[in-house]
Amino acid sequence: MTQTIQLPSICEFMNRHLVDVFETMLTMKATPLTDGGAPQLEERVTGSVAFAGDHINGAVYLHLSTRFAGEVAAAMLGLTPADLGEAEVNDVVGEATNMLTGGLKSWLCDSGAECAVSTPAIIRGSAFVIEPVPDVERQWLVFDCNQNRIVVEIHVKIG
Amino acid sequence: MATKILSVDDSRTIRLIVGKAFRPYDVVLLEAANGEEGLATATRERPELIILDVTMPVMDGVTMLTKLKEDPDLKGIPVIMLTAESGRENVLQIARLGVRDYLVKPFKEDQLIEKAGRCVTLQKRPVATPA
Repeated sequence: MTQTIQLPSICEFMNRHLVDVFETMLTMKATPLTDGGAPQLEERVTGSVAFAGDHINGAVYLHLSTRFAGEVAAAMLGLTPADLGEAEVNDVVGEATNMLTGGLKSWLCDSGAECAVSTPAIIRGSAFVIEPVPDVERQWLVFDCNQNRIVVEIHVKIG
Repeated sequence: MATKILSVDDSRTIRLIVGKAFRPYDVVLLEAANGEEGLATATRERPELIILDVTMPVMDGVTMLTKLKEDPDLKGIPVIMLTAESGRENVLQIARLGVRDYLVKPFKEDQLIEKAGRCVTLQKRPVATPA
């Protein structure tokens, strides 16, 4: 059953799901952009949640610029960016990553690939790269949201 | 008399969102970060409704709900479960636990208010007028 799950179908699901998360929780319209390979990543807040099961494992990373992460946090909590500290912004980005990966987990489980997810972790800065280990496929999904970039990075190993 | 609602979630973000949703209503929102704290708060405060996350450290929502249903003083409190997972098995498991309703994250605040309004009376908070 898990043979039907491939990286392109995961990306297709994630393209829809991110739009849904941003629309539902933030009333923000996110639009998927055509895959242009590795995006330029500036100073940013990155949320990560891993998933693991017998037939599939990987991780989802949500990259937002530090400024846009503040706007997203403010929109989600009904506050202004000036009202928020780093901890609140981290928590919101972690929760958004958790919602994205929770949706992916449900889709994977319904497709026959049972898995569990980790709690979210946050990385801040610009001088870091995330490299997949050998045999892990990676795909970037880039979205526009009011002229801000949302980048979702998916690492997955199937089988 | 304000309605007492208990939000049990390890994510402060979700507790803040729940608080924001109920802000226009005459509600006292109590908060707990895991099932253990949630049970203690429920025992002490006797809320009229509990909004309960499923996945939490220390004690998860399923365990807290099970213990709540075993307690004759607390088992009548309606519970709305919040879950980040919409998968069939997850939803079926939640339904079997005897919850009043459930919401899948992401959710709209209106959805939460609508479901809460089916369990408790929600009255708009009086608008403060300048003296």
